[in-house]
Amino acid sequence: MTGSAYAGALGLGAAVVLLCAVVTLWRRALGAIVRVLAVQGLALACVAMAIGVHEHDAGLIVVAVLVLAAKAIVVPTLILRVVRHDPASRETQPLVNVPASLVAAGALTFLAFAASRSVTSLVPTVVGRLIPFGLAAMLVGFFSLVTRRKAVSQIVGILLVDNGVALIAFLATAGVPLIVELGASLDVLLVVVVLQVLANQLRSRLGTTDLDQLVELHD
Amino acid sequence: MTAASQMIGPIVASFTQVIAVAGSGLILIGLLRKVRAHLEGRVGAPLIQPLRDVRKLFRKERLRPDQATWIFPLAPVVLVATVGAAVAITPLITTHPAMGSGSDFFALIYLLLAGSTLLALAGLDAGTAFGGMGSSRAVTIGALAEPALLVTILAMSAAAHSSNVPAIVHATLSDPASVATPQRLFALGALLVVIVAEGGRLPVDNPATHLELTMIHEAMVLEYAGPDLALVSVGEAMRLTLLLGLFVNLVAPWGIATTTGAAALAVGLVVLVAKVAVVGAALAVFEVFTAKVRLFRVPELLAGAFVLALLGVVSGVVVR
Amino acid sequence: MLALVIAVPVLCALVSGLVPWRRATGWLGAASAAGVLVLGIALAVGIVDGRPVTGVGGILRADALSAFMVIVIGVIAVLATCQSVRYLEAEIAAGRCTRRHASLYGALVQGFLATMLLAVLAANLGVLWVAVEATTVVTVFLVGHRRARTSLEASWKYIVICSVGIAMAFLGTVLFYLAALHATGHGAHPLDWTSLVAQSHRLDPGVLRLAFALIVLGYGTKVGLVPMHSWLPDAHSQAPAPVSALMSGVLITVAFYAILRFKVVAEGALGPAFPRTLLVIVSLLSLALAASLLLTQRDVKRMLAYHSVEHMGLIALGAAAGSPLAIAAVLLHILGHGLAKGVLFLTSGEILLAEGTSEIERIPALLSRRPVLGGIFAFGLVALLGFPPFSLFVSELNMLRAEFQVGLGWAAVLSLLCMAVIFGAVMSHGRHLLLGPKGSDAPAMTPALVAVPLIGGLVGCAFIGISAWPLEPLLHAAARVVSP
Repeated sequence: MTGSAYAGALGLGAAVVLLCAVVTLWRRALGAIVRVLAVQGLALACVAMAIGVHEHDAGLIVVAVLVLAAKAIVVPTLILRVVRHDPASRETQPLVNVPASLVAAGALTFLAFAASRSVTSLVPTVVGRLIPFGLAAMLVGFFSLVTRRKAVSQIVGILLVDNGVALIAFLATAGVPLIVELGASLDVLLVVVVLQVLANQLRSRLGTTDLDQLVELHD
Repeated sequence: MTAASQMIGPIVASFTQVIAVAGSGLILIGLLRKVRAHLEGRVGAPLIQPLRDVRKLFRKERLRPDQATWIFPLAPVVLVATVGAAVAITPLITTHPAMGSGSDFFALIYLLLAGSTLLALAGLDAGTAFGGMGSSRAVTIGALAEPALLVTILAMSAAAHSSNVPAIVHATLSDPASVATPQRLFALGALLVVIVAEGGRLPVDNPATHLELTMIHEAMVLEYAGPDLALVSVGEAMRLTLLLGLFVNLVAPWGIATTTGAAALAVGLVVLVAKVAVVGAALAVFEVFTAKVRLFRVPELLAGAFVLALLGVVSGVVVR
Repeated sequence: MLALVIAVPVLCALVSGLVPWRRATGWLGAASAAGVLVLGIALAVGIVDGRPVTGVGGILRADALSAFMVIVIGVIAVLATCQSVRYLEAEIAAGRCTRRHASLYGALVQGFLATMLLAVLAANLGVLWVAVEATTVVTVFLVGHRRARTSLEASWKYIVICSVGIAMAFLGTVLFYLAALHATGHGAHPLDWTSLVAQSHRLDPGVLRLAFALIVLGYGTKVGLVPMHSWLPDAHSQAPAPVSALMSGVLITVAFYAILRFKVVAEGALGPAFPRTLLVIVSLLSLALAASLLLTQRDVKRMLAYHSVEHMGLIALGAAAGSPLAIAAVLLHILGHGLAKGVLFLTSGEILLAEGTSEIERIPALLSRRPVLGGIFAFGLVALLGFPPFSLFVSELNMLRAEFQVGLGWAAVLSLLCMAVIFGAVMSHGRHLLLGPKGSDAPAMTPALVAVPLIGGLVGCAFIGISAWPLEPLLHAAARVVSP
């Protein structure tokens, strides 16, 4: 792969990851949000694949396929199953309204670019300069987790944080050691399975997955 | 002779642009309606029907509300004048329009804004409830679209190191791969949303609605009749054509004339007409499949455009 | 031998999971915990005299610190698994739990032990991360075991907050990896702890600052440090008592062990100032929060959970001091706190079983109505508050000494203030709970099988408080690992 095509592909992939994170703040329908998450997983897998092909690293290519299977196919399917059973499958009024969340996402992007200067200076290649995209996606995911009320939206927030961290891992180090990446992907899958089970239990117990209803434990 | 032709060439080019846009603007509107009609299973009015409507309106009686002041008749004229001036300095057919060095992106936007601001004032001037409502809605949308627009211009200017529109188009011409960078894609996405908002198309405003409560632009010009209404229609059509032509030349400027020779201008004109027709048809198809967004959701849409443009700026600053 | 330490609970988990629960499987679980303890002691004896042990192709490694943690895990696991038998029997008898659920519980507890052991025995920081993440996944279902509304809410909060924390810890680990790669080129096993420590002076300071902050925030979530603590009171109060004992006694300290490992590397690269400042800030915030919220607690287990936050704050402050004395005191505190908190949680579980509620207002005069339980609870509170002869007195005193020696005297004074407030709060709650007018019922007796392990735990806590033998050489060796 030629240098500039490689850089272009990576840049596009990283930008799509960040874009998907911002779009999840924008859309209200939970089904649409989960589909955006699938697109983000796809972009992440493409980034990993591009790096793997460029560096001739077979392990990374395996990881890319794993990421594609887990984050773009399996996880969104599992979540969509939870969403489909929920009659009110739209995000109810979030704690911060949509335009303000979008502006906050812009501010968080700036913050991410400022905070990752030290890291990008350590990896001065064109790949390293894309690391702030991952950090911004992670921060946007964190924000989404904090300001959304539905259980599914919180699952989506966790996955956004995970995807952002995975993007940084791929870009910064051309992948962490295989065993750790495998463990990380497996854990993401397990977490989603656990969350789905819990969401089902919540729904059967409480009749809703609206986390606003869970207010019994507090000080 | 060459100095004179260097001066005349751009003037001729700009003149051609204005005539072409003025003529074909209404035909573009006709094309949009025709595409929409076909998709809805109707035959639809012929392409030149808007031209016929305008000609009919020019012959009608000039009616003005009693309490209207001098703003009311002035607004359509100013609208057409500012849009015409904007068309003259935009690189639509050629990258050397008249006053090329003064063809600044910000100036262009504010020329357009001057016309629509005056039109909004005229809506208030008419003294009716619907005029005021339409004006306030239009101004709200304009105010929300403005930050997005400014940041989009910043993103595009940063790439070309200048906010001169011909320079930006030149930069894209000389480096075709730069269109695929995340920065340009984000900025162009934001620009598309803003153009839809400013041009009064779905999903922001329905140009074909007859229900006063859903009107935004139509309510603003509800009191206009006769030649005034004709001028308003022509102005709005030219505005949409200008915005679409500008968008097309920022995305895919190939075919635009880089000199002001007659042959190049002719080619540029044909290419522009073709490109705008394609984009217009695509817009019409998109409109058929989109529902109008509720008014209090429009800020979300425009905030999304703003953040998109912001991402474009940020990614451009870093990924150099 | 290292593989054996982990294999024992794994095997037991498989057995417990496959058969419907019986008393025998419960005692098997206790036996496996005892086995872990014995193996840990053997490991420690071997290491103190000789060198660190590696196993399973270098993935596992045990030095003095790891061996100490294995002992801690083993001791509290023995206590908890013994009580689990009674807990599960009572739940099944009351019809709140089926035998299938009980066998799942048994398997999960053993799996929990296995993952914690993997975490403390990992040689590679990446494997450490995987193990800590695994503990979260395994304990979620344990927290929600009772399937009540409140336990579901608690387990939801637990997994959401801890997943975010773990993701941040992953990013921190990745940044450490990046710095190591940059310093050494593509060496083998850049995340191996010993090689990281050897290379630590060559690691880029800017990246390491960001990375260590992420580690403290990320693993600090699992420790229960402010600002990521909000899952802790809910999870620890809603979980079944043996699970609360394990989580509050051991799991949070295993997560702190992870922070200690990273701290050694960070100190090598950044010097002591930055890690110290970060840990001091986090610990003072935790102490302040625990002090303010303990005043208004109404539920026994929630009170104990917030008390854990306080002790984690104290441990963090001791670790911030960083001198060998401080670290030895921290490790002693980990053991003592684990014992005392474990005993207290188990006792409160008994109280819950006997009284049917765990609200302080509704359990008056425990000492007169159930003298044995009340007595154990009273002594446990005394131990936790740091009275002699219990070991927490010694460890807290030494931590304060070390903090003054290092120049963190002001922080020590602030922590003393918070501890005074907490002292008052806990005494007041304890008074409500334990003392009061004697009712007309005769005092109820507690079966010896229940009381003996609990009393044994308290006695052990006192024993190591009076004389640190035989742990002294191990403590010093472990402290040298962290602050050479």
